[in-house]
Amino acid sequence: MKNVTILICDDSILARKQLKDSIKKCGYDNFLEASNGQEAIDVYKEHKPDLVFVDIVMPIKDGVEAIHEIREFDPEAHVIVVSSVGTQTQLKNAIMEGARDFIQKPFTDSGIREIIKARFEGR
Amino acid sequence: MHTQFFGNFLLNKGVISPEQLIDVLKIRSSAHKKLGTLAIHSGYMSANEVEDVFITQTHYDKRFGELAIELGYLTQEQVDELLTIQLPDYMLLGQILVEQNILTHVEFENLITEYKSIYEIYDLELIEEQQHMVDKLLSNFYLPEDLPHAEYILSYLTLLFNDLVRFIGEDFTTLDIINLPEVPVSFCVSQEIEGTFSFLSALDMEQDAAIAFAGRYVDEEFEEFNEYVNASMEDFLNLHNGLYSVNMSNDYSMELHLQPPQSHENTLLATDHPFYMLPVIFSFGTINFLFSIKKMEDSETHMQEDEVSDL
Repeated sequence: MKNVTILICDDSILARKQLKDSIKKCGYDNFLEASNGQEAIDVYKEHKPDLVFVDIVMPIKDGVEAIHEIREFDPEAHVIVVSSVGTQTQLKNAIMEGARDFIQKPFTDSGIREIIKARFEGR
Repeated sequence: MHTQFFGNFLLNKGVISPEQLIDVLKIRSSAHKKLGTLAIHSGYMSANEVEDVFITQTHYDKRFGELAIELGYLTQEQVDELLTIQLPDYMLLGQILVEQNILTHVEFENLITEYKSIYEIYDLELIEEQQHMVDKLLSNFYLPEDLPHAEYILSYLTLLFNDLVRFIGEDFTTLDIINLPEVPVSFCVSQEIEGTFSFLSALDMEQDAAIAFAGRYVDEEFEEFNEYVNASMEDFLNLHNGLYSVNMSNDYSMELHLQPPQSHENTLLATDHPFYMLPVIFSFGTINFLFSIKKMEDSETHMQEDEVSDL
C-alpha cells in the first residue's frame, strides 16, 4: 500500500524538507522533487506520481500554470496546493484549475496526515 | 515591544554605545518572558496550545492574546491578568542598564521621564494602545518627509516590527532609516511585490547573523551558511510580505502579488529608484531591511518594468 510516489514542488529547499519530514511521519518516503513549475510538469509527465504537492509562487512557471498543464496531460492527476499567506487570489485560480485540496504554510503534521489519509487510506 | 524605541532613544541621546546596547539586549533576551510562557507558567495553557497560537499567528496578523481568546484557550480576564505580570519592556531594558552600571538610578529615572514626555507613553503596558503607539513612534522616528503614501509604509513597518518580535525575538532595536541610491549587500534575499503599490523588499545581513537569524526562525541549530539558512531568510521575507498583502487587501482593498524571493551574495543591489535602509540591531548581529518603492499610484497607470540587477 505504501509503494506510492509523491512529487513535491516548491522553490524553497526548506519547504521541501519540511514537507518531506512531515509526510515521512505518515509512513511514505518515496519522493520526487521539483523547484519550479516547469520542472514539476516535466517530472510529472515522466513518472506520473500518485500525489503532487505544488507551491503557488514559483519562478519560471508558477503553481497555477503547472496545475493547468499537469491536468491537461492527466485529468486524473491528484494535486494539492501548498499556499503561503497572501496568495488567496492565486489559490482560487489553482482550485479552479482542478487542484483537489490545499494546505496553508506553515502546515501542521496533522494537516498533512489528513491529506495523505484521504488520498491513500480512505479508499 | 517598546524596548526597540527606547533603545533608539538612548542611542540618539548618546547615553549608550551600540556595543553596550547589544550586550544589554543579549541579557534581556534571556530575561524576558513572553505572554505564551506566562500562560504556561500560570497553568492557563498547555505548551501545545501555545504552539497552536504561534502557528495561527503565521496565518493572521493578530496578537497572541487576541488569538488565544479566539481559539478558546484564554479568557479576556486571564489575558488581562497575564499582562499585569509583564513589566513594560523599556523598564526592563533600563533596569539592566542600571544593573550593568551603565546608568545610575537617577539618570535612568530622568531618561524615562523625558522619554515619556516626548512620546506620551504613560499607558504603554496596555496592549490596546500598542498598535497606536507603534504607529506614533514610527512616524516620529523614521519617516523621511518626502515619502508619498506614508500610511502604506507605516503599516508595512509596523507589521515588520510585529513579525520580527513574533518569529525572531524581541531583543532588537532599530536605527534611523537611511536613504541610499544603491546598496552593497553581503547575504541578501529580495522579493518584489507588484500591484497598485509596487516595491522591492530585501533583507541583508552578514553570514554569522544570517545563520543565527535562520536558527531562530526555524528553531534549528545551523553550523554554517547553507541553502537551508538562505531558504529560511527567503521564507521569513515571503511570510512577512504575504501577511502584508492580506492586510492591504483588508484595509485598502488593494491586491498585491508576490514574486518568488531571490538571493544575492556579495553584490550591489540597485533599481531605478532609491533604497530606504532600516538597520535592525539584534543581539546576534545586524539585519538591514531594505525597500525601494517602484510605484504608488492608481491601478490604471502603466507599471514600470524595473528589474533588480546584479552589477
